[in-house]
Amino acid sequence: MKFQTLPYFVALPALMLALSAQAHNPEEHINKGEAPNCAAMKDMDHSKMDMNDPVMQAMMQKCMPKDEVMSKDGDAGHDMEAGVKKPSEHQH
Amino acid sequence: MPSFKLLTCFKCIVVVSGLVVLAGLGFIYSGYYPMGADSKHTKLTYWALETLRERSISRAAQNIEVPADLDIPARLLRGGSDYAAMCAGCHLVPDKMNSDFTLGLYPEPPNLTVKHSGHDEPKVVQAREYFWIIKHGIKGSGMPAWGPGHTDEQIWNLVAFLQRLPELSPDQYQILTAQGSSSSHNH
Repeated sequence: MKFQTLPYFVALPALMLALSAQAHNPEEHINKGEAPNCAAMKDMDHSKMDMNDPVMQAMMQKCMPKDEVMSKDGDAGHDMEAGVKKPSEHQH
Repeated sequence: MPSFKLLTCFKCIVVVSGLVVLAGLGFIYSGYYPMGADSKHTKLTYWALETLRERSISRAAQNIEVPADLDIPARLLRGGSDYAAMCAGCHLVPDKMNSDFTLGLYPEPPNLTVKHSGHDEPKVVQAREYFWIIKHGIKGSGMPAWGPGHTDEQIWNLVAFLQRLPELSPDQYQILTAQGSSSSHNH
């Protein structure tokens, strides 16, 4: 009878150890949902920034309130956002 | 006489082929093949698998139609947040050279934050192949097929982001992939 309970004492700690090891570096495996560090834009070399570059425009959209982007670029900001059809289902 | 020789030769080929098949089966069942991801392929095996993969993807992706609006900011933003959630663990972020996955997976997932020499195909070809790989995955490599859970539009957004990723600085990457102000996209 003694030996019948022994596997449980071995298996349980082993299982807990295995589960804790699945994502031992959580930073890499979870979505942190952090806010964009828009202050970094101020430190970027503005002479090298091309306002027509989609990367730059995307950063502006992310960091500036929508109405501000609209007033700077006319309707460009609106067009950019409307340029992509919204996917019918969007969940991961 | 010639027909007798031909028959003997044919028998010989059949016997040798049979022995080769039997030896192959014997090896499979013997359990001697080193299956660990930390045991590297031989150069010949690696070449054969890599060529098989490249040729297969190239053929399968050749007729995919690439959207004309791939390079627009909205796609970069949507694709960026998806990349951070789904891909960055294996394919890295700017200024980071490895992760648990790149150290442990075999073959090692490509670092998509840098331009690879020898892959100078036109952008449209690269876009097609990225799309196909993301949608269908790659057998035996750790690359999953994202197609079943994602729309083609979502995958094209990822492709748009991937095409600009090697040019991004760490700050640009952080801004484009952060979840913060984009309320339309939550994982």
